[in-house]
Amino acid sequence: MPAIRAEGLRKTFVTRRKAAGLRGSLRALFHPDRQTVEAVRGISFEMEEGELLGFIGPNGAGKSTTIKMLTGILYPTAGQATVLGFVPWEQRQQLAYRIGTVFGQRPQLWYHLPAIDTFYLFGKIYELDDRTIRRRIAFLAEAFEIEHLLETPVRKLSLGQRMRCEIAASLLHHPRLLLLDEPSIGLDVVAKQRIRDTIRRMNELEGVGVLLTSHDAGDIEALCRRVIIINHGQIVYQDKVSALKRRYLTSKLVEVRYAHQVPRDFRVEGTQVLKIGRYGVKLRFDTRQTPVEAVIARLAEAGNLVDVTISDPSLEEVIRTIYQEQAEP
Amino acid sequence: MTMRRELTFLLALWKANLLSAMEYRAAFISQVIGMMLNNAVYFAFWVIFFDRFQEVRGWGLDEMLLLFAVVAVSFGLGVYLFGNVMRIAEAIANGRLDYYLSLPRPVLLHLLASRSIASGFGDFLYGLICFAVAGRWTPDAVARFVVGSLLSMIVFLSFLILVQSLAFWMGSATLVSAQAANALLTFSLYPITLFDGTAKFLLFTILPAAFIGAVPAEFVRTFSWSTLAHLLLAASLLLALAVALFQRGMRRYESGSAIQVQV
Amino acid sequence: MSRRGLKYWAIFKTQLINGFAYPGDLLARSLSIIIFLWVFLFLWRTTYRAVGQERIAGLSLRDTLWYLMLAETIVLSKPRLSSTIAEAVRDGSIAYLLNKPYNFLLYQLSVGLGDSILRLAFNALAGGLLVGLTVGPPPPLWGWPLTLVTVIAAWLIDFCIAATIGLTAFVTEDVAAFEWIYQKVTFILGGLLIPLDFFPAWLQAVAQALPFAYTVYGPARLFVEPDGGRFVTLLLTQGAWLAALGMLLALLYRKGVTWLTINGG
Repeated sequence: MPAIRAEGLRKTFVTRRKAAGLRGSLRALFHPDRQTVEAVRGISFEMEEGELLGFIGPNGAGKSTTIKMLTGILYPTAGQATVLGFVPWEQRQQLAYRIGTVFGQRPQLWYHLPAIDTFYLFGKIYELDDRTIRRRIAFLAEAFEIEHLLETPVRKLSLGQRMRCEIAASLLHHPRLLLLDEPSIGLDVVAKQRIRDTIRRMNELEGVGVLLTSHDAGDIEALCRRVIIINHGQIVYQDKVSALKRRYLTSKLVEVRYAHQVPRDFRVEGTQVLKIGRYGVKLRFDTRQTPVEAVIARLAEAGNLVDVTISDPSLEEVIRTIYQEQAEP
Repeated sequence: MTMRRELTFLLALWKANLLSAMEYRAAFISQVIGMMLNNAVYFAFWVIFFDRFQEVRGWGLDEMLLLFAVVAVSFGLGVYLFGNVMRIAEAIANGRLDYYLSLPRPVLLHLLASRSIASGFGDFLYGLICFAVAGRWTPDAVARFVVGSLLSMIVFLSFLILVQSLAFWMGSATLVSAQAANALLTFSLYPITLFDGTAKFLLFTILPAAFIGAVPAEFVRTFSWSTLAHLLLAASLLLALAVALFQRGMRRYESGSAIQVQV
Repeated sequence: MSRRGLKYWAIFKTQLINGFAYPGDLLARSLSIIIFLWVFLFLWRTTYRAVGQERIAGLSLRDTLWYLMLAETIVLSKPRLSSTIAEAVRDGSIAYLLNKPYNFLLYQLSVGLGDSILRLAFNALAGGLLVGLTVGPPPPLWGWPLTLVTVIAAWLIDFCIAATIGLTAFVTEDVAAFEWIYQKVTFILGGLLIPLDFFPAWLQAVAQALPFAYTVYGPARLFVEPDGGRFVTLLLTQGAWLAALGMLLALLYRKGVTWLTINGG
């Protein structure tokens, strides 16, 4: 049995729009300008037990809404889903005993209390007996390297420390599935890496399945074996991460500046010119066909180089590429 | 069985609240004392009033004392133990129910008991003092005081849940619910015999202030089966209605995703 | 008007217009006065009937209700000044405001006035409608302008007290406590909940000797029984208190500024 099975999940929100000022307020009072927004429009997928699955997509793509339906926070407008055999929005409580959740922007630890107090409270919430919870806390504290943080009021922890405690809290009751919504939001590179490592370790150690959303492709690259890309409430791509890398994270962007003016018909072999400015050029090339050093060498031949920047395409660009491919197969 | 489970859970939450409050001990104490002084000022009004008029339609200072005792204990205990009761509408509109929905406990109960308003403890103490000053120290009067105050608290909590659940449909009900709470408390602190006709009818129905103040206070004064039955009926009916409306509304919960868009 | 005066006029106007941005809030807020006056209506109607006299301590039922209407209007329309000023002192933004080309206190005064006037109008309208429809027409029209003058004087006295409390943030942490005590004192000794006329004689004497009675009771009492002599006496008393409290405020402000320039924000 798959851990998650979703079929045709949809969610529509009704929003009220209000123009600024007195007139807008009055109009909104008597003739509310209602607008429906389709946040999720028919999402179907499956996830195996113990799998590491990533949801990526830009902000507002519908990732969080999907996760919220799968945890029973939101009623879907249409569609079906089972999570660990439960229908989330009908058997929310039974399901909650078996899954762990972390919402990056909604902390669950009590702000004024040391994390350990919330851990014990969670023990009561999940009805674990005192001995079990004590042993579990000791185990997780070691695994997440938070022993020295447990007695400090949460408000005094750094964001990264807090997030490690948050994830530990969500694992107190031995969930079989962990749903993480933007766990790395706002963290620096080092803290991100640390969080990723611990999540992977818990997956290896306890076989807990992880469904993770992020708008940072790096999270998915480092953690997940399979990826689902969502945009405008629909799945635009799903495959192994290795395949995604092979297909889409192969191109690189180069921006160069020369000491002299660039001719209008500037060209470099093995690259695609995206934009030509007065002194600078923006190009894209595929690393499988043209190695980086070859591109640099050719650019240097073309003139007197002042500056070069090489970067990976952003997630938005990857999604755009995928769209273009779908539009013109 | 379930009752006991939820009670253990509530106790754990209250303990966490207490621990939180103890992080700011000085603030807690100053709020408790401040609220007691606050109530004393309101009561000073009645001292001045009855100094001139002695009694109004069967109500004197003694009746006022008992009324203040019941309302202060009911309201104080209500917001001390279930401090989020003033913030239900806000939680619905801002999507703060997510947290409670992701944990395996009754959402409404969990939400209500997850916060504690320190000044409520001051109200509670003030109510006890009023009761002590009123001087009905017989065991059965004390028992009636406990029962009356608890039923009054249930009415008070239920009414606020009921009004604020409108936020599921209206999007934002914060101001409306603040005013409803304000009205409920104001009306419950006056002698019920002042009101007649429509006003009285309203206070027993739409704005059930009578069941928070006058009726339980009457019950503390003299036992009667019919008063008790009325109180029990009002409390259970309102509670059932409130829980049902909240549950119904939960189907429409939008997790803060549909905020008002300013164009 | 001088160019400097125009500046504060503009601040006042902006704040006034700003208040119109949320008409729903304005309406919901004027519900407060309806609730309070509604309860008072029942209380005093019953009390007058029970006592069986046309007038109690010289006030008729109609007088009492119109008195309470104006008293509630004045108190419910006050700006939250103390906490605003205390906040500015505490987070140091007062230091930045000192460099601006306006006087900090006059700025707060213009903002507060712009804030109050709108609420004053809405509260008076809502409260007046309720009282007018239930106990009868308002007091004679000729007394209104006199009352308005004393309401403004009352507002200014309140401004001085509230601002002084706000500025104590220079020396104390707990401004909220003072603000709160001031508010409660106004409830009783200011005559908000009950006209001073109903007090026992000794308490009346105490209240008359303090400034709070002139922020609420004075104008409200004049309103229901306008009288030239009463007006002059009231205005003179208000003027005396205004001078004393204004001086105290100015002194405290200057001290605070000196302290700031020496110690930094």
